[in-house]
Amino acid sequence: MIVGIFTVVFILLFSLQTSLMSHFSVGGVTLDLALILTVYCGVLLKGDRGIWVGFTIGLIQDCLSGSLLGVNTLSKSIIGFTFSTLKDKLMVIGFVPISVILLAASFFDGLVYYLTLTLLLKAPIPFSFLFSTLPTYAMYNALVGPILFFFINWSKKWVLRKFPLLEGFAQ
Amino acid sequence: MWRKKLSGRKNIIILVSLVLASFALMTFGVKRSQSPTILETALMWVVSPVQNLITLTLDSASDVVDHYLLAVAVSEENEKLKHEIDKLIRQNNELREELRQRDRVGNLMEYQKERQLKSVVAEVIGRDATQWARVVFINKGTQDGIKENLAVVTNGGVVGHVIQAGLNTSKVMLIVDGRSSVDTLFSDDRVAGIVVGTGMEFCEMKYVPITAEVNVGDQVISSGLGGVYPKGLVMGTVVSITKATQGLFQEITIAPSADFGRLEEVLVLLS
Repeated sequence: MIVGIFTVVFILLFSLQTSLMSHFSVGGVTLDLALILTVYCGVLLKGDRGIWVGFTIGLIQDCLSGSLLGVNTLSKSIIGFTFSTLKDKLMVIGFVPISVILLAASFFDGLVYYLTLTLLLKAPIPFSFLFSTLPTYAMYNALVGPILFFFINWSKKWVLRKFPLLEGFAQ
Repeated sequence: MWRKKLSGRKNIIILVSLVLASFALMTFGVKRSQSPTILETALMWVVSPVQNLITLTLDSASDVVDHYLLAVAVSEENEKLKHEIDKLIRQNNELREELRQRDRVGNLMEYQKERQLKSVVAEVIGRDATQWARVVFINKGTQDGIKENLAVVTNGGVVGHVIQAGLNTSKVMLIVDGRSSVDTLFSDDRVAGIVVGTGMEFCEMKYVPITAEVNVGDQVISSGLGGVYPKGLVMGTVVSITKATQGLFQEITIAPSADFGRLEEVLVLLS
C-alpha cells in the first residue's frame, strides 16, 4: 500500500515538475518540488525513512534530467540524511522555521551541483551561478515551499484518515 | 551508552554508503554510452503520458483564455501572423545567407541547391526535472529516426541538440544550458566564435578577438563545424558587448533567436 502511494506521489510530482512548474518560473528559476518533498520526508517521517525517500527522489530526478547521473542522488540523500538525523533537534512548526530549513537545503543542493560539475567534470558553469541563480532558487523555495509543506502535511493527514493502517509509517 | 554508539556508527555507515553509491552512479554516468539506461527508459515511459496530459490540459486552458475569453478573432489572427513572421524571418535569413555565399564564390562555383534537410516535427512534452540543466523532453524517439547529436530548431532559430534518444521520447539540451557550446560566425563579417550557454536566458560568445568590429544587433549563425549543427542556422543576436582594457577577447552576450519560453513544437533535423 505504502509503495503504491509513494509511486503515485512520485509520478505526479515529477510530471508536475517537468511540465507545470516552468509556467511559474521566476528569473528562469522554478520551484523544486523534489527538494521540498525530500525535506518534508526527512523531517516528518519516522526513523531513517527520509534518507531512503531522499535517495529515491534524487535517483528519479537524475534519470529525468539531462544532468550528470548521481548528482541529485548525492544531494537529496545527504539532505534526507541530515534532516532525518537532526529532526529531534529541529522545531518545524510555523512558516519561518520551515522557510529557513528550505533555504539551507536549497543552498546545499545548488552547491553540490556546482561543486560536482566544476570540480569533477570541469564543466564551464559561470561563477555568477553562485551569486544570482542559486540565491534566487533558494529564496523561491524558501518563500513558496512552506505553503507546499502545509499542503503535503494536510494530504498526509487526509491519507491517514482514509487508510489508518498506514499510521505506523508516518510519525 | 553502547546503543547510542551503535546508532552513531550505523548513521556513519549509511552516509558513507549513500555517498559511495552516488559517486558510483556518477562514474557510471560519465563512462556509459549516450543511450538511456533501463531505469531512465522506464521512468520516461511512466512519466511521459502524465506529462502529455498536463501539457495538453495547460495548452487547452491557455487556448480558452487566449482565444475565447479575451478576443477570439484578433488573438487567433495575431498568433497566425506571429508564426508567419517567424517563418518569413527564417526564409529571409536563409536567402540572405545564400546570397552571401554566391557573392563569395562568384561564378567559380555552382549555385548550391537548397538543402533538402530531412526533419521530424516533435512536440515538447516536458522540461528538465532539476533546476540546473536546461533540457526539454520531446515526444519522438529512436522509432521516429531520432538519434543523439541531431540538431533541433524552430522557425525562430536553433533550439539545441538531442543528447539522449529513447524509444518514444528524447532529451534535447538547449543552447542556453551551461554545458552547451556551438561553433558560430557573425553573419555579416564572418568572424568566428563559440556560443556557450550560461544556464540562464542568454548565451555568451567567446573567443571573438578584441579587434573585431561587433555591434549590438549583429546576427550570429552556426558555422557548420562540429558536426551537429548545419551551417547557416540562426543562433541569436548580440545584445551587449564588453571590451576589457586588457585581454585578447571581447565579452559578448547573445539573445537566442528561439523563444525558449514558449517552445511547443520543434523540428529535429535528421540529416
